[in-house]
Amino acid sequence: MTEPPLRTGITGLAAVSALGRGAQAQLAGVLAGAAAFGPVRRFDVGGRRTTSAATLPDAGTLADELAGVIEDACTGLRAAERAETPLLLGIHGHPDAGRSPTATTAGFAQDVAARTGLAGVAKVYTCACVSGSTAVADAAALIRAGRSGRVVVAAGYLVEPDQFALFDAGRALARDGAVRPFSTGRSGLLLGDAVSAVVLEPVGEHGAIAEVAGWGRSGDAHHVVRPDPSGQGMARAVHAALRRARTGPDEVGYVNANAGGADGDAAEAVALRAALGPTPVSSTKSVHGHGLEGSGLLELVVTVLAVQAGKLPVNAGHLGADPACELDLILDAPRQATSPYALTVNAAFGGANTALLVKAAT
Amino acid sequence: MNTDTNTDLTTLTEGTPPPLPGFVVSSFSPLVAAAADRCLRARHGDPPAADDVGERTAIVLVSASGDATMAEHVAHAVDTAARIGPLLFFQAVPNSVAGHVAARWGLRGPVVCLCPMGEPEADGLAQAQLLIEDGDADEVLVVLVEQAGAAQSARALLVTEGDVR
Repeated sequence: MTEPPLRTGITGLAAVSALGRGAQAQLAGVLAGAAAFGPVRRFDVGGRRTTSAATLPDAGTLADELAGVIEDACTGLRAAERAETPLLLGIHGHPDAGRSPTATTAGFAQDVAARTGLAGVAKVYTCACVSGSTAVADAAALIRAGRSGRVVVAAGYLVEPDQFALFDAGRALARDGAVRPFSTGRSGLLLGDAVSAVVLEPVGEHGAIAEVAGWGRSGDAHHVVRPDPSGQGMARAVHAALRRARTGPDEVGYVNANAGGADGDAAEAVALRAALGPTPVSSTKSVHGHGLEGSGLLELVVTVLAVQAGKLPVNAGHLGADPACELDLILDAPRQATSPYALTVNAAFGGANTALLVKAAT
Repeated sequence: MNTDTNTDLTTLTEGTPPPLPGFVVSSFSPLVAAAADRCLRARHGDPPAADDVGERTAIVLVSASGDATMAEHVAHAVDTAARIGPLLFFQAVPNSVAGHVAARWGLRGPVVCLCPMGEPEADGLAQAQLLIEDGDADEVLVVLVEQAGAAQSARALLVTEGDVR
């Protein structure tokens, strides 16, 4: 008789962002709904159209912060358990790429794994804003198939001058110092620090905080950077996540949206309406900013913490309803969760979409 | 579950790729597009792919170097306070050219970009196998691309479950 597929539990998590250090700082920050944006002091932003981001004042190097969150997430693991656990890492690349010919992304990843006592790096995901979420989907697939036991997924981005300059040149950054997902008057995204790690194991190995109940990955096949206005690609990722979880759309009690306050928010609204119908939605990017390669994993951590606490974060920065973004947005105050299931969706350049469905442990 | 994956290999290692509209400064994205195009033409003829096949075709882009030319260009521009062109905005991540290939050929499966930790082709094939086994794709276009100084190369492989088509 065939064994049933293994379920994937999240048994450890940690994060650092402009909201602070540690899981509870993230939860408190998104529930307070107080945006963490301010003037960038980490590097010179003279000559840029936008000068704001969400940065943690005492942030270390990306390697230090990644090692720190991995250590924090793996607190419950013995050294021998770590030594047999592979790392899936989501990053843009070596932070010194472009300035040092000896800086390799693979070497950077190996150093992070070595510092934290893990078995090594199984994969490095460089797929922009779905890097961390794709890594989680792959880890869950490996665990479900019995091909991996425990896996650590980490992903990170710290606001730095090169990506800031590129996003500024592309006129993608908000001009008014605020991120307003799905709102009228939104003018773009703002970057934010996002460094996170999760430990994934078959349910039953250790006490799980939540389960990665379903996951989906898809592509728009529409444009190099613009999302498909029909929302079909993201909707297919959501459908895939629900199908794997054997869960209906009406069981999903919350969506942490990808929306970063850009024109593309409307495409996501179409996708979420089509795939789920009326469901409480917010984008926590409105308080911690867009963490690029680190965004998907930070938003998974925040979503898990919120649904575990039974409180759904607000969609900050809202000025008024945009008819193109008709959704059940959580405004003004956190809302009580009515379901253990929550979805976090992400999208990236190239039309890449991911959906991760989590179920809070009962 | 074991998946027998087969590959239809196209190699592009020499010469300068044709320009790719919208992509400037670096040969990285044109190389990816050219290699992908040759591989996909062998499978589908002219673009796009048949709708039902395209919906189930993923793209996996594997590169240890990433777009090294672009990274150096942007770093130099930032360090010297030079102007950065708006087109560079989206070229800083490999996803963008993967999205170009996906849109041109109607490939609506997952888009995954990796830095290999082992042998690049093996890593790309392992990712393709995972996506097929996990059910998000039936076919995977794997593009291996590297830039190292003047040397540059890209190869594209089409991975399918079952027989080579």
